[in-house]
Amino acid sequence: MKIFHLIFSLLCVVSCALCTGSSSDRFEKYQSLSRFGQLDLDDSSYEDIISEPHDYHVAVLLTATESRFGCILCREFQPEWDLIARSWNRGSQKTDSPRLLFGSLDFSNGKGTFQKLIEGKLMLQTAPVLLLYPPTVGPFAKVDPTPLRFDFSGPISADQIYSWINRHLPDGPKPPLVRPINYTRLVSAVTVLMGIVTLFTALSTYILPIVQNRNLWAAASLISILLFTSGHMFNHIRKVPYVIGDGKGGISYFASGFTNQFGMETQVIAAIYAVLSFATIAIAMKVPRMGDAKSQQVAVIVWAAVLLSMYSFLLSVFKAKNSGYPFFLPPF
Amino acid sequence: MAESPFDALLKGESGRNTRGLLRIIILCTVAAAAVSSRLFSVIRFESIIHEFDPWFNFRATKYLVENGFHSFWDWFDDRTWHPLGRVTGGTLYPGLMVTSGVIYHVLRFLTIPVDIRNVCVLLAPAFSGLTSLAMYLLTSEMSTSPSAGLLAAAFMGIVPGYISRSVAGSYDNEAIAIFLLVFTFFLWIKAIKNGSIMWGALTALFYGYMVSAWGGYVFITNLIPLHVFVLLCMGRYSSRMYISYTTWYALGTLASMQIPFVGFLPIRNSDHMSALGVFGLVQLVAFADFVRGFLPGKQFQRLLTSMIIITFGVGLVGLIGLTVSGVIAPWSGRFYSLWDTGYAKVHIPIIASVSEHQPTAWPAFFFDLNFLIWLFPAGVYMCFTRLGDEHVFVVIYSVLASYFAGVMVRLMLTLTPIVCVAAALVLSYILETFLVISPQTFQAKSRDTSSESLRSARSPVVGISSYISKLIMTSSVVIYLLLFVAHCTWVTSNAYSSPSVVLASRLPDGSQYIIDDYREAYYWLRQNTPANAKIMSWWDYGYQIGGMADRPTLVDNNTWNNTHIATVGKAMSSREEVSYPILRQHDVDYVLVVFGGLLGYSGDDLNKFLWMVRISEGIWPDEVIERNFFTARGEYRVDDEATPTMRNSLMYKLSYYNYNTMFQTGQAIDRVRGSRLPVDGPQLSTLEEAFTSENWIIRLYKVKDLDNFGRDHNSAMAFDRGNKRKKATKKRGPRVLRIE
Repeated sequence: MKIFHLIFSLLCVVSCALCTGSSSDRFEKYQSLSRFGQLDLDDSSYEDIISEPHDYHVAVLLTATESRFGCILCREFQPEWDLIARSWNRGSQKTDSPRLLFGSLDFSNGKGTFQKLIEGKLMLQTAPVLLLYPPTVGPFAKVDPTPLRFDFSGPISADQIYSWINRHLPDGPKPPLVRPINYTRLVSAVTVLMGIVTLFTALSTYILPIVQNRNLWAAASLISILLFTSGHMFNHIRKVPYVIGDGKGGISYFASGFTNQFGMETQVIAAIYAVLSFATIAIAMKVPRMGDAKSQQVAVIVWAAVLLSMYSFLLSVFKAKNSGYPFFLPPF
Repeated sequence: MAESPFDALLKGESGRNTRGLLRIIILCTVAAAAVSSRLFSVIRFESIIHEFDPWFNFRATKYLVENGFHSFWDWFDDRTWHPLGRVTGGTLYPGLMVTSGVIYHVLRFLTIPVDIRNVCVLLAPAFSGLTSLAMYLLTSEMSTSPSAGLLAAAFMGIVPGYISRSVAGSYDNEAIAIFLLVFTFFLWIKAIKNGSIMWGALTALFYGYMVSAWGGYVFITNLIPLHVFVLLCMGRYSSRMYISYTTWYALGTLASMQIPFVGFLPIRNSDHMSALGVFGLVQLVAFADFVRGFLPGKQFQRLLTSMIIITFGVGLVGLIGLTVSGVIAPWSGRFYSLWDTGYAKVHIPIIASVSEHQPTAWPAFFFDLNFLIWLFPAGVYMCFTRLGDEHVFVVIYSVLASYFAGVMVRLMLTLTPIVCVAAALVLSYILETFLVISPQTFQAKSRDTSSESLRSARSPVVGISSYISKLIMTSSVVIYLLLFVAHCTWVTSNAYSSPSVVLASRLPDGSQYIIDDYREAYYWLRQNTPANAKIMSWWDYGYQIGGMADRPTLVDNNTWNNTHIATVGKAMSSREEVSYPILRQHDVDYVLVVFGGLLGYSGDDLNKFLWMVRISEGIWPDEVIERNFFTARGEYRVDDEATPTMRNSLMYKLSYYNYNTMFQTGQAIDRVRGSRLPVDGPQLSTLEEAFTSENWIIRLYKVKDLDNFGRDHNSAMAFDRGNKRKKATKKRGPRVLRIE
């Protein structure tokens, strides 16, 4: 009985030593693999890295970067994820930070895992998803081995993810997130700037008349005004679609609703404004300068007709957007 | 034969007098039209303060009138932001309140018995009349013909983009600020044209008034230096510019620093640095101009180059050094979000949550400006033909303001004046060209045909020859103008004249039905609660509770403390067990929620709920998680499929508590979100319903005191329901050794 007890406890110790040993080994192995960034996992290495027991944290990004899956968010986030992993791996060697591995599992490499996760209790439904596995043994072990998950609801920066990970790690020194300085961009910007300055000084006799050309400045300011007043900034900020289908195979050019618009719609509106403004300029500036009475008469009629029809079209578009609007002009 | 009496009136000295008289009459009519078109809300509803911020301004004005100027200046308000309080005197723009206080006292002095509320309600229309006069002056500086000014004044008087913030009752800073903006620009143009210290000082004076009235003064602070800078780049330096700019900058900065809220910002904040930088630049240019007279060309060139390099280097190093060491504050959040459009969304959800800070879709431009929007580019083009100093100003203002208006709906207000100027310039030019009876008059006015001018303006003007052309153009312009007036009236009456405190709807028979739930609930609070009962609500309603119910609030529309707002958000979005300690810690007596489900009123708290969640997530990312309020498929739902977090949140419970009793079993419908609610309504244990208004828009709950027997509220509720015993027997199980 006593011997049995002894053997049992010995076995326990050995197995424990073995398991921690293997866990540490795995950590060393994967850490050496991931010196220059995160690990590209597949089904088997994924299973291996999170196989219990492990005394380190694992942060896995489940993603689908291949273009055929059409996951724009995945592709946008991938470099940010690389950045986090790289700055962690580089910084953690100097400081005594918690043991943490970074990996990403692409759908094309880990269909089996994805399948398991979709059917399992995590109920994975979208990609990308970030899973953070807590250690199962060691001082920071959690009782519940299910990973913490972070769902992406929109574009997100590395800093936000990094602070999320940090919150769920045990206290201790953590390497800061370091964004590498983009030297190529800096150098190229300086080069381009100096090139422009040189070009300007060398060709100033040719360039100065262009810079001082009043017509050019007038055109530039008119174009920017037309862009801004036709809602271009709205497109830029809200990232609205260019056009969408109307569900019957056609294209709907105008978004329904007063506070909504499409990219193409704003271009149409900008063009309408441009025609109207140009007609006004022509009537104000060009027509009174025409010497021939007959052609002047024709010009006035043509421009007035353009003005009327365009304005009436604009009103009809506006009426379509805002159904309660009572005003209209004859042609449309 | 009728011509001879008219001739006497229209020619010579008396002709000038007649025209002057006509001009005055027209301007008075325009001002009258501007005032009267803003009175829809008073006629349709009553003389009442609108919306949210005006209620605070009104309360502050009452305080000013009752306690005098000095105690207003030092006002510490302990009835808002409980328990922190707010140094109100030092954190507001006092211009509006002081203006109406002065008007009130002057009227009293003239023995006109007027109520301060009526002064406040009618201040905005009165100032809009002044704005159209200022507009006449500004536009007259741009054009040689007085008709442009008159047209611009008429446009400004009735254009919806300005009416939107200045109807009777909308007692907000913008009410007087737009007048000050236009008038300051007029004085600036005068100053730079004449180069006189008097006009520069007047500009500074009105700039100081503007600073005291509205945070948008930063627009002037940056636009005037930019104007000067562009003129310098165009090689148009003159002593006129030097005198007017330095006078304005020195006096204006001193004036603006007198406002406690602004304080030392003009020399420390990056928003104001461009003015300081251009001030330095003007000094350098003036010095170079002075030295040029004494030095030979070669030496001067060398001096100039070295000077430019040295100042640029020193300035850059100094700016970086001061910014890093923290002497110069970085850009303020609201201003920064103008340039980096994604900034607010990521870093300051409280700014992103305000609908006024959203970008502008194109229908909003047309809605607010009608046909001026397409006359506007044409008018800017007209400015390029002569391109005097003042026309450069119009061009810069136009481009900048249209950018700002595109980024933020609320800045449509700053775009409107320049649109009126530009549109009036081109339209008056067209009318003057086409309304001349004899074609010969324009022959003499042919312009210089130098290569610098615009291509379309090179050949001489000959005028319009045929009467048909004149008839066509004049009649179409008249039609467009009539359409504009109709549009403005329609927009004003339909969109901008609702007080939003009182809602109006139509019954099936066409009669008007007034929904007065807000005031009903606020007056209930006023009459049924102790004077220092603390009310917790989302910050939108803070000013109204302070103004109408006169009760202390936790947070209000002056969003100076994000953490405090996030605390309220956390209390609203957490379980009762979490919320109750928060409510107790903040001495909350009543909780107010706005619920539109019965009526279909979409601006209610459940629709704003996600912002509460987001703002509190920013402070407590582990306790409040936005994702948990969405279903697995990412939908925001309130029906059977709503997530447990959603259904246990205090806001959900307070909104739907007892709502089932209004309907047959299982028939409860939320008309805003268009969904059928769960059969069993939510249970409340730590709060009790105190009041629900007629249409259920406002719901008030009293926070229960601690239980007399020391139980938690949940078990006390269970005891009252009579199921205490069952639970006690069930819980007794075998003894288990506790692990961990």
